[in-house]
Amino acid sequence: MNWIPERLRNCRLFMIMFLISVVMIMIVSVAITWTMINMSEKFFIEKFSIMNTKVMDKIQGNLESFDNSVVTASNNLLQSETVKSILTQKESDVNVYYHIGQKLDYIKSLLNNNQVGIVLIGSNGAVYAADSAYWPINDEKLKNSRLIQNTLKEPKRLMYQYDDHLTNDPFGKDNEHYLVASRAFMDRLSGKVYGSMYFVIPESQFRTFYSSYTSLGNNVFFVDKMGTIVSSNETNFIGKKDKHLLLHAQEVENRAGGYLIKKFNGKDQIMLADYIPYLNMYMVNMVDKKEAIGDLIDKKSISFIVLAIVLMALVIVFFSSRRLTNSLSRLVKQIDNVPKYNFHQYVTETGTYETRQIGRAFNSMLDELHDYVDRLMQAQKQQRNAELSALQQQINPHFLYNTLTTIKFMALLDAKEEMEATISALISLLQNTIGNVDETITVKQELDNLKNYVFINQKRYGDRIKVNYLVQPDCLDQLIPKLILQPFVENSFFHGFNRKTDGYIHILIWHDGSDLICEVVDNGDGMQESEDGELPNTQRKQQLFSGIGIRNVHERIQILYGKPYGVSISSKHGEGTKVRIILPKKCCKI
Amino acid sequence: MKKLLALLFASVLVLAACSSGGSTKQTASDSKDVNEITIWAWDPNFNIKALNIAKEVYKKEDPHLKVKVVEMAQADIVQKLNTTLSSGTTKGLPNIVLIEDYRAQSFLKAYPDMFKEVTGSFKADDFAKYKVEAGTYNGKNYGVPFDTGVAGLYVRTDYLQKAGLSVKDLQHIDWNQYIEIGKKVKAATGKDMLSQDPKDLGLIRMMIQSAGSWYTKKDGTTPDIANNTALKEAFKTYKALMDAKIVKPVSDWSQFVAGFNTGDVASAPTGNWITPSIKAEASQSGKWAVVPLPKLSGVPNSVNASNLGGSSWYVLNIPGKEKAVDFLAKTFGSDVDFYQSLVKEIGAIGTYKPAAQSDAYKAADPFFGGQKVISDFASWTNKIPQVNYGLNTYAIEDILTVSAQNYLKGKDLDQVLKDAQKQAEEQIK
Repeated sequence: MNWIPERLRNCRLFMIMFLISVVMIMIVSVAITWTMINMSEKFFIEKFSIMNTKVMDKIQGNLESFDNSVVTASNNLLQSETVKSILTQKESDVNVYYHIGQKLDYIKSLLNNNQVGIVLIGSNGAVYAADSAYWPINDEKLKNSRLIQNTLKEPKRLMYQYDDHLTNDPFGKDNEHYLVASRAFMDRLSGKVYGSMYFVIPESQFRTFYSSYTSLGNNVFFVDKMGTIVSSNETNFIGKKDKHLLLHAQEVENRAGGYLIKKFNGKDQIMLADYIPYLNMYMVNMVDKKEAIGDLIDKKSISFIVLAIVLMALVIVFFSSRRLTNSLSRLVKQIDNVPKYNFHQYVTETGTYETRQIGRAFNSMLDELHDYVDRLMQAQKQQRNAELSALQQQINPHFLYNTLTTIKFMALLDAKEEMEATISALISLLQNTIGNVDETITVKQELDNLKNYVFINQKRYGDRIKVNYLVQPDCLDQLIPKLILQPFVENSFFHGFNRKTDGYIHILIWHDGSDLICEVVDNGDGMQESEDGELPNTQRKQQLFSGIGIRNVHERIQILYGKPYGVSISSKHGEGTKVRIILPKKCCKI
Repeated sequence: MKKLLALLFASVLVLAACSSGGSTKQTASDSKDVNEITIWAWDPNFNIKALNIAKEVYKKEDPHLKVKVVEMAQADIVQKLNTTLSSGTTKGLPNIVLIEDYRAQSFLKAYPDMFKEVTGSFKADDFAKYKVEAGTYNGKNYGVPFDTGVAGLYVRTDYLQKAGLSVKDLQHIDWNQYIEIGKKVKAATGKDMLSQDPKDLGLIRMMIQSAGSWYTKKDGTTPDIANNTALKEAFKTYKALMDAKIVKPVSDWSQFVAGFNTGDVASAPTGNWITPSIKAEASQSGKWAVVPLPKLSGVPNSVNASNLGGSSWYVLNIPGKEKAVDFLAKTFGSDVDFYQSLVKEIGAIGTYKPAAQSDAYKAADPFFGGQKVISDFASWTNKIPQVNYGLNTYAIEDILTVSAQNYLKGKDLDQVLKDAQKQAEEQIK
């Protein structure tokens, strides 16, 4: 359980970065795709509406010229005195039928020979017709129909009406519908109405005005003010009432130059509409949106492309952010370890510029720290050294006047030779310790000093204590700190033989590998070893040769050479003491 | 500073948005009827130009009136008027429309209540009588006269000279004399005397109007063909012209214009509106003259003046009609200076008599050898016999075009006219 948060913690930066990128890429790509699809859809629809507006203009042109021919024909009928007299006179004979037949033939030519039936009804009750076979309505029915009522209600208007008598007639033909253009015969000056005229247009004929512009999914509807679909290329809608279509048409018409997308017949339709004043109808053009632009925008492939791009982007983002954050988190990990484990471990300067800079800065900080610590240690060392060497330089005056007292006695005893030997030993001892300012001396010199010191001591206290030197010959040139063995020999002299009266001190120097090992071994009293192995303090200062005690020696070695080196003492009560000094091998400097 | 600027910018934007939203709505709703009138006319070089001049002139009267001039083909105007007027709606109709005189009566009769009567808004007596008559229905004036279609005989003086003739020999002649002259000119120069489009009976219309006759009787509806002596004489003259081999046949307007521009014909008997087309060929400057149109021989009341074409302004009975009438009355109805600019800028001659006294009308035209052409046309205008163009000029002309061809092929004239009369009665009566 513990490793998961640990790992997560290490790549938290990466997780955040990656998650944000993922979310952003998703949002951006979805937004762009959505907008693009919407925009292109809108663009296509706009194009469509412009195209279809033009088509509608053409249809309007067709209708207008047809209407114009109807107007011309109706005007001709209206202005004809013959027609007026025929429609108003009481009786009619064959001649009248001939005349009216001639007239209607001419009228038909004015109608450009479109398949149009003509019916004239006079105020005298007479009905004249041409080609009314198209229109299966009997005269009685016509006279009582809504058509005639509407026509006479507004005598000045040429109006177009949907003839619904067939749909109401159970025996009527189902497959044909009719549009009737009607106008009252009216004397405009007197205002007298003397009949009415009907131009009957089969719906299939009316449809030819626009059917060439329609296609599958691109439909035209004519809707009158009652909401009846008067004509359409979608024939099964003809004659049906659809209030919604009318409302849509009005809405579209009121939007200047616009179009609407409406549901019709269960499908989304791009709807354009025009009010045609002379027909008093709306012409509605509907394009099935799915049919029109469904194929143009392949949403599936667009989403696949977008998905592929997103995935690619994610992969790139994954790896690049991984690379970025990896170097950073590696750096963090490394930095994290530094105080825990090792001050000397530098971080690796890799990755991006920033992480490299941070690594570099960290490393140089470590460098400085090291440098500072080193310098601090150096300073301490130097201080200590200075102290020690000051001690070194100091010859205990007790030693001097004790020695001089010994020489005085020799002079009194007139032991001339002995006196001379002692004085020369003292001279070379002083020369080597005070005169020589070097810190280190060769083993040979140290041995000389020891010998002189021992000689002087033996002169003073007698030679009950023998000193033996066992030195490997090739160690003689090794360098060791000055006065490093003297304190231990001194210690043995003055403390090792308090109970025993005689004994010996062995001084052994040899090398073992890279170490130089010196031992001062005596068979004197020995001592009670302290529990923590600490070196005993020397109390009697006046006995010392110099300011350096055995305690100092250990410190000094460690300052000079480091931890692995130093002094160890083993002692057994009554059996003697063994002091072992371990030093690094250092050849004499030439 | 930046913040201040941004704030300023934003506030300007907001203000602009507010003001634009507010003001457009207002203008759209409350003053459309009063401040804008729409006019439909055809021919950008003539009628539309005249309208634009009128527009400028009327600015002095009412600088706020917006006059929207819409150019449409004449056939489209006729069709749009017909469909809209018969449907009983007024949506999309203009306030003023230009209607050819030959068609005016049929519109007035079919939709008398859709046109605004303009009687009294201009002095009818100041205009040529025949012109006022064309726009009068049931004793009321509906049309405000625009250009006269006064006809003249444009002749090449240089060709006449070659034939040993001068302009004087063509003054106040009849058509028979014209044919003789034509023969002489053809003999001398090898050029035809005139060009004719067999589908267009303009020449016959000019001939019969010079005798105060028309295709229909005074009532405007009864065809007057079989017993119309003027028409009969016109047909005879027409055949004589063709038989004299002095006619260059053409099939359309541009060939007609090319006929005189290239110098292929020696004369052109037609309306004054042809002047700009004739003057278009600058190299012929000084070689043209205009003489009165020949009269019909053997028809006692025929005069050396007639008309071809011409149109008038009609005001529709829809909101804005008062403004429209005022616009017409103050320009076409009464402004001498305006008529002078019409003559100077587009060569359009009106039928307003006071304008004939103005300087522009009296100017000599170097193209016509210094002749005061406009003044001459203006004086002939007043002599044009007044006829009722009736309701069916073009319907009857369609019949007569066929008749004329039958007659030229050798059919008996009386029979031809009788057949035409019968056919016309069947169709329009």
